[in-house]
Amino acid sequence: MKFTRTAKVASLLAVSALALTTATGIATSAQAAGGVKVYVIGGMPSDPFWSVVKRGAESAGAAVSAAGGSVTWLGPQNYDNLGPDAGKLVDNAISAGADAIVVADWVPAAENPAIKRAVAAHIPVVIYNAGGTAAVKQVKGLTYIGSDESVAGKAGGVYFATHGVKNVLCVNTGPGNANYEARCNGIIAGEKSKGGKGKQLPLPASNFGNPTAVSNAVKAALTKDKTITGVITLGVQDADSSAAAITAAGRAGKVKLATFDLSSNTLDRIGAGTQLFAIDQQPWLQGYLATSVAWQYAQYGIKPATSPVLTGPAIVDKSNVAVVKSGVAGGVR
Amino acid sequence: MSQSTKKGLSLGSLVRRPEFGALIGALAVYIFFAVAGGPDFMNIGGTASWLNVSAELGIIALPVAMVMIAGDLDLSVGSILASSSMTLAIVSGYFGLPTWIGIIAALAFGVLVGLINGIVVTKTNLPSFVVTLATQFGVSGITLGFTRLITGSTSVPFTADQPFQAMFGSMLFGDKFEVAVVWWIIMAIVVSIVLYKSPFGNWIYAIGGDVVSARATGIPVSKVRIWLFAGSGFGAALVAVIQTTLYSSAQVSNGQSFVFNSIIAVVIGGVLLTGGYGSTIGVTLGTITFGIVNQGIYYTGWNADWAALILGILLLIAVLTNNTFRRLAISGGKKKEKK
Repeated sequence: MKFTRTAKVASLLAVSALALTTATGIATSAQAAGGVKVYVIGGMPSDPFWSVVKRGAESAGAAVSAAGGSVTWLGPQNYDNLGPDAGKLVDNAISAGADAIVVADWVPAAENPAIKRAVAAHIPVVIYNAGGTAAVKQVKGLTYIGSDESVAGKAGGVYFATHGVKNVLCVNTGPGNANYEARCNGIIAGEKSKGGKGKQLPLPASNFGNPTAVSNAVKAALTKDKTITGVITLGVQDADSSAAAITAAGRAGKVKLATFDLSSNTLDRIGAGTQLFAIDQQPWLQGYLATSVAWQYAQYGIKPATSPVLTGPAIVDKSNVAVVKSGVAGGVR
Repeated sequence: MSQSTKKGLSLGSLVRRPEFGALIGALAVYIFFAVAGGPDFMNIGGTASWLNVSAELGIIALPVAMVMIAGDLDLSVGSILASSSMTLAIVSGYFGLPTWIGIIAALAFGVLVGLINGIVVTKTNLPSFVVTLATQFGVSGITLGFTRLITGSTSVPFTADQPFQAMFGSMLFGDKFEVAVVWWIIMAIVVSIVLYKSPFGNWIYAIGGDVVSARATGIPVSKVRIWLFAGSGFGAALVAVIQTTLYSSAQVSNGQSFVFNSIIAVVIGGVLLTGGYGSTIGVTLGTITFGIVNQGIYYTGWNADWAALILGILLLIAVLTNNTFRRLAISGGKKKEKK
């Protein structure tokens, strides 16, 4: 699974009984006469990370519409049953007459049968955001566009270690989520490769959406182990909570903060020097490239020669924070 | 407790107070984590950890408790928190209006959703469980839709003007305690006055005990229920203002954990799910119990993978203890009547 804001909370009893999917037409002419119909399957629309991916897909959609085609975004209402739900969305796209499908392969075991049905029906499938080249091979997809979590984590661990932070705490608000585990394990592996160390702080779903509970738990961990000099979070809201935690623990300046993904607050802190860095997988690029590649291949047979096409990691620190800031304001980063 | 002391220090009367079970539960989990967590848990920093979590939960749980004492449920507090939080961030952050306008808009939005809950529940006679669940979904959809429509994002940054930063989003006593603790105390006092010193409070218990006879005695049942929902909407909106100010941003998906956690805290505090029974002190102790269990695990140094399991077991034990003492309290009362 790959998304930045975990919604693993058993959000509500009746959730699965209610409508599970939303479909939103993206800036397109209503009639796709003769054009290519691209279906993009991504995360929850309320997820800040997926919001940016969707923006990328929308921007690519402008070019698709200009060529007479259309781009339709499909996303689940929640992450309680992500794999099967995403599989159903793929089937929905097939029956809606998709000419190309873009899908994140979060849970290959659950999604691949549906993706294989699409490939068998001669619909080109681009895997993006999650799944990697392994998924592309399994389902005979077109290519993989996204980042490699383990690589991204390692880059963060190495950055920490080379900037004097040798013991790091990885705050995991979605324990068990393969994508999150890979990030934390990557961080720890990166530290170890430079002689440092690290550990995870797993926080259960009962704290989901409550920054105060997350903040105080991080504070507790810092109080308990005073040798920790770095904290990295897997999402931007947890970074806000952890920034407060470091202050409350009386360790401001001594414990360096970092996060995966970007937000205005994160960039403000990097600019002000209270946060060391952020790891960006450039989600806008994922939405934009994946949608473009799917459309170009379906319509003209064009495709990039390299696979996977990696969109990250990109490290944002004090040296490049200014230019990144303008992108965040536009909802693009 | 002071009341029973005045009446004479009888252990029996103390044990039969409705909040005694909640007190035992809170003390038990505190001692458990004091032993397991050591001085780090018991010092000011550790105390602040669970008190901060309890305070925010308590601000929502107290008005939710009143709703539950009257025999209803409110499952919409999660979405109200998210939407009020977003209202504040959009009005005062995105559009840059003065903070006080954003805060009033956020609180008014919470009360408005609560009023709508109440009006729909009383007009349609549908179970509040269903109506507020529908609101929970509906409001989260509205929040997401409008937030993206207006800001193009789902996370909106916000910085409060003074004195509002100090009033809602500051840390007291060496950056340890959230100002939310003060709001929690105010909320507890207000709810106590409403429940024990006003006719409104009697009406709440009467409605929760038996709606039909409450209506027969001339209690404005619908009005009371509508305002109770407005109250829980206000509580959720107040926490929204506090969190948005404190963490300088609003997220569309915030607050969902408060739906269950507020009900858990209220039930640990001895309020009956069927209504008609419960006290402010009990609910306050219930939120304290929840806060201690929620944060205590991180002071033990144990592998936090087990946190959710320990949370579940301790909550079950707390409620079981509570039930035992409540049965004692109720049976004790009946015996006296027979005499």
